[in-house]
Amino acid sequence: MIITNIDNVPGSIITSELGLVQGSTVRSKHLGTDIAAFFKSLIGGEIRGYSDLLVEGREEALNRLKENALTVGADAVVNVRLTTASIAKGAAEMVAYGTAVKLSRIEANAK
Amino acid sequence: MPNNFTDTIQEKFDAYQQKMASTPEWFQALFGGDSIFDMVFNNGLQTAGVAVTGWLITTYFERRHITKLTEQETQLAHIRLSNTDKFDETVSEGIILIGSTVLVHDIFRKLIITIKKIIGGNVRLYERLTMRGRREAIIRLKEEAQLRGLDQIINIRLTTVKISGRFLSGIAMIAYGTGVKNNTKNH
Repeated sequence: MIITNIDNVPGSIITSELGLVQGSTVRSKHLGTDIAAFFKSLIGGEIRGYSDLLVEGREEALNRLKENALTVGADAVVNVRLTTASIAKGAAEMVAYGTAVKLSRIEANAK
Repeated sequence: MPNNFTDTIQEKFDAYQQKMASTPEWFQALFGGDSIFDMVFNNGLQTAGVAVTGWLITTYFERRHITKLTEQETQLAHIRLSNTDKFDETVSEGIILIGSTVLVHDIFRKLIITIKKIIGGNVRLYERLTMRGRREAIIRLKEEAQLRGLDQIINIRLTTVKISGRFLSGIAMIAYGTGVKNNTKNH
């Protein structure tokens, strides 16, 4: 499964569009992360726990996007957009959405 | 009423002197005193001491972060970035890449920021924080591209989101784009 955030896939041409697919997740971290974050906020800087939250969350969102695309029988998802929102204290939602497409490979361009 | 008020101050001063008596001598010499004026002045001194120390420590960590960012930027300078979706004909593969970071401001400068927000205008301290975050996010994007052996990232999108934790909220910087490989460089 190829995922890009441009209108097409390099090295291939799009033969048909299969419509919008999306994947989303709402994730939270355990209380210990928030306590560690509080101490980290004394000196400022990066909060590893929340960075990890973003990384895990969007991996999950992209996986669900892929699953969704597989069910409609797509080869790739193009024009993917990612959105993150903090929907409650201690929980963030991550959404990935794009257009599922069918591809055919261009052999000449690969060289 | 005024009599009551003076009594409260006197009580607090007594408690302060009792507390001071149990501290080491050098601490008493620096922060102790004989009158209520001394108490107020020395407490102010203590507060200012903590504020200045905090300022120095956080400035050190900020400088260290910026030095690290500059180093990594020079190392990863060979990866081209662009905001358009155009790519060369030689490109044969493309994959989505994401880099992100969550940063939080230190508490020592919160007061300055609060005052600045009353006046209005540019909040310099926050500008510096967001710039650091964005550079970090782009560097992580580039690092992912390097790991996959890609040499150009196109159609980059940047987002800033406020992430709320249970006790505090941080600023999340997200950068994502399509990593592509130019085959001409291999020949």
